[in-house]
Amino acid sequence: MSRNYEAVYIFDSTLEDAAINDKITRFHGLLAASEQPEVNHWGRRQLAYAIGPRENGYYVVSRFAAEPTVLPEYERALRLDDGLIRYLITVHEHEVGAPAMSDEEIALAAARRDDDDDDED
Amino acid sequence: MRRPQKSCPFCEGRVRWIDYKDDRTLGRFITDQGKILPSRLSGTCARHQRQLSTAIKRARYLALIPYLKGHTA
Repeated sequence: MSRNYEAVYIFDSTLEDAAINDKITRFHGLLAASEQPEVNHWGRRQLAYAIGPRENGYYVVSRFAAEPTVLPEYERALRLDDGLIRYLITVHEHEVGAPAMSDEEIALAAARRDDDDDDED
Repeated sequence: MRRPQKSCPFCEGRVRWIDYKDDRTLGRFITDQGKILPSRLSGTCARHQRQLSTAIKRARYLALIPYLKGHTA
């Protein structure tokens, strides 16, 4: 049963774009994903704090559906790669652009909060 | 004395899930030292405050927002 994952990679910014693309295709090759993974290049960006000697990194966000069994192998390849400074893989269950909260949910949340407040008085 | 009821900015914006990659929004919910703003100050509801703290911790790990601001190491 394949699940949706979202991975954010931070590559060393000294790498050329071609080298970064090769690495990404190699990583995604390990996934044996049914559909083509969605890759979104953020590009070079200043890091909020220095990671080791580096002050900026090349960010790539990718979304893919994969079997949980292939993840350990994939993650091992990520960890062994020197050009990859840091990565974060999360399960992508909630679509961020999901339909907004409906009025009832907001009213419910507000009502629950008002109940909590009444206990304080 | 009943404090004025601050509405949750995420409920108002009808946001269902907070995205940890959206560092501009997350930046509004950390203090000038980089600490997570408590919900009693930001008015965030409990549900969104839980999502917010997880999102901020992930964004910090990805160096999108700093752990400590204005700290000369």
